[in-house]
Amino acid sequence: MLETHALTRSYGDTVVVDHIDMQVRPGRITGFVGANGAGKTTTMRMLMGVLAPSSGSVLWNGEPVGAADRRRFGYMPEERGLYPRMKVLEQLIYFGRLHGVSTSDARERATKLLHHFGLAERTDDLLDTLSLGNQQRVQIAAALVHRPTALVLDEPFSGLDPLAVDSMVDLLRDEAADLPLLFSSHQLELVERLCDDLVILAEGRVVAAGPVDELSRRGAERYRVELDGEDAAWLRDVRGVNVVDVDGSVALLDLDGLDAADLARTIVERSPVIELSRARQPLSDIFREAIR
Amino acid sequence: MTTDSSAAETNSTDGTGGLWRIVAEREISTRVRDKTFIISTLVLLVSVVATIVITGWMSDRDHDRQVAVVDPAGRAIVEKATDLAASIDEGTSLTARTVENVKAAEKMVSSGKADAALVPSDGGYQVVGDDEIDEVTSQALSATVASAVLNQNARAMDVDLERLQAGTAVDERLLDPAAKDAGLRKLAAFLFVLVFYVTALGFGMTIAQSVTQEKESRVVEILAAAVPIRALLWGKIAGNTVLAVAQVLLTVAAGAIAMVATGRGDDLRIVGPAMGWYVIFFVLGFVALASLWSVAGSLASRQQDLQSTTMPGQILLFAPYILAVTAGEGVKTVVSMLPVVSTMMMPVRMAEGAVPAWQVAVAILTTVVAAVLMVRVGAAAYERTLLRTGDRIRYREALTPRVGTS
Repeated sequence: MLETHALTRSYGDTVVVDHIDMQVRPGRITGFVGANGAGKTTTMRMLMGVLAPSSGSVLWNGEPVGAADRRRFGYMPEERGLYPRMKVLEQLIYFGRLHGVSTSDARERATKLLHHFGLAERTDDLLDTLSLGNQQRVQIAAALVHRPTALVLDEPFSGLDPLAVDSMVDLLRDEAADLPLLFSSHQLELVERLCDDLVILAEGRVVAAGPVDELSRRGAERYRVELDGEDAAWLRDVRGVNVVDVDGSVALLDLDGLDAADLARTIVERSPVIELSRARQPLSDIFREAIR
Repeated sequence: MTTDSSAAETNSTDGTGGLWRIVAEREISTRVRDKTFIISTLVLLVSVVATIVITGWMSDRDHDRQVAVVDPAGRAIVEKATDLAASIDEGTSLTARTVENVKAAEKMVSSGKADAALVPSDGGYQVVGDDEIDEVTSQALSATVASAVLNQNARAMDVDLERLQAGTAVDERLLDPAAKDAGLRKLAAFLFVLVFYVTALGFGMTIAQSVTQEKESRVVEILAAAVPIRALLWGKIAGNTVLAVAQVLLTVAAGAIAMVATGRGDDLRIVGPAMGWYVIFFVLGFVALASLWSVAGSLASRQQDLQSTTMPGQILLFAPYILAVTAGEGVKTVVSMLPVVSTMMMPVRMAEGAVPAWQVAVAILTTVVAAVLMVRVGAAAYERTLLRTGDRIRYREALTPRVGTS
């Protein structure tokens, strides 16, 4: 497990990352969200040891992380960067070796990863002859080439088309099945689709963290009701519920005293019902609420 | 900005110790496939070999001086003088060309068909040249005329010439026999300086550029995450030092082969030891400067910034270059013991003549100390600045520790 303890970074008087405690658990994908400037990249750079914390610590399996531990992590920085005038495969082998993998292992792994991304034909091309999307695929391959023990990916999906995102997601699910994986993103629906855990950052502080399921259930219990052709406006008069929205025969309501079984009974007595379901709070709402 | 200091300290125990070798390997393999590098190496080799061959050819050529004479007496003097000329300067010979009269002799000289003319004059003989007279020719002719006429006069006056000349013999004895062959030594010294300047500057700029490229392409971010920054620095210094030394060795070897091939294998014995020292000084000087070049690269955010950030390095190379060409003996002796400057100046002095051993030792010692200091300071500055992007960073900032943590 990768975790931080009161991790702090300040530049002069400005505190960019303020006593962050977070955990990235193995076998779970942790989404790292927050507005621009919330401190996500700064936190990730401190996780990777590229930036020294002003105070606080990074722990790996309970111990302060060392250079040898970090060397086995996989990292995709926010500012992408590879050698533009170096051949793709050669470059991946080089990074593999820097991460402690033998040349032959690195070659095998790199070839496999490039194959996954449909870049098998481009292994001997110079990096800067590849499209930006393909360069990004090579970048993720560079983070994976040494079979990392943890993955820290800063905006790994930005700039990719939906198919490329799917392909990368497949690969990550495959490669990082039992690793701690932290990734930051602004694409909330993607985070919602992928993540098991969530850390929400605002102005350098963690404002919400935990499993996505728990977070989305937090607050009022919300239900969606769809009646068969009847106007759902009468639900406003039911005691013990707050109707959030009514749109024809569909209503969205929060329980406020009434329990779910009573709600179901009340509705069925009065109108024909097509659907009564628990509404998961969309991540965008969680996010907005958290950073408010 | 500093990286986790534990990264550098625990180097040896955490398995990141040999990483600099991988970095060095990439520096080398990238460079040897680089067309500009291959071409510049070839140009350097060709120019050194060409200089040696051409100067050899120049000194071999034209050694037979044509001397125009107007009578058999003149011809006899020239024929006698040729041995003397050969003894003054090996390879020089004089050939007499008899013409009708003084006018014709002068015409031969002015048209360049003869190097000089020996014509009778009121007081004896006159050596006529066009705009200058070759010293060896003039010396040989004058001495021969003098002794011939002296002999003649002595016989006419019935004087025992041998008794008259007794005790006038003057011999030469050199305290520093190695200082002979000044021309050859000057040439070797010139080539040393030239090759050092070209190679050190070329590879210095290469180091700076490769650092800046890594900053510019941001690849440095994943490098820094995988490798302690010092290992990156060592790798760069090691890789480029190996290449630079290989290039110098290649150049020195080519120069030696060229000397043997042009029939000057004997001369090699004279400048050979200086060549050996040259390689040693080169390694020391190059390593001392290498960290400076890395810092220059790390101060720059873009390739354009390199022009200004590499200025100190360029000056450190250019100053001794100028000194080597212009300075007097005393200045040279002092500066040849200064660190870094010595790498260029000391081999030059050694090529030009004998140098006391203690001065060589001082030069080596100061350079080693300077190398250790510069690499240490350089490594710290490199760590502080490598991950900072945006503007060009000033040396003062890079060398001030507190900047790193702000």
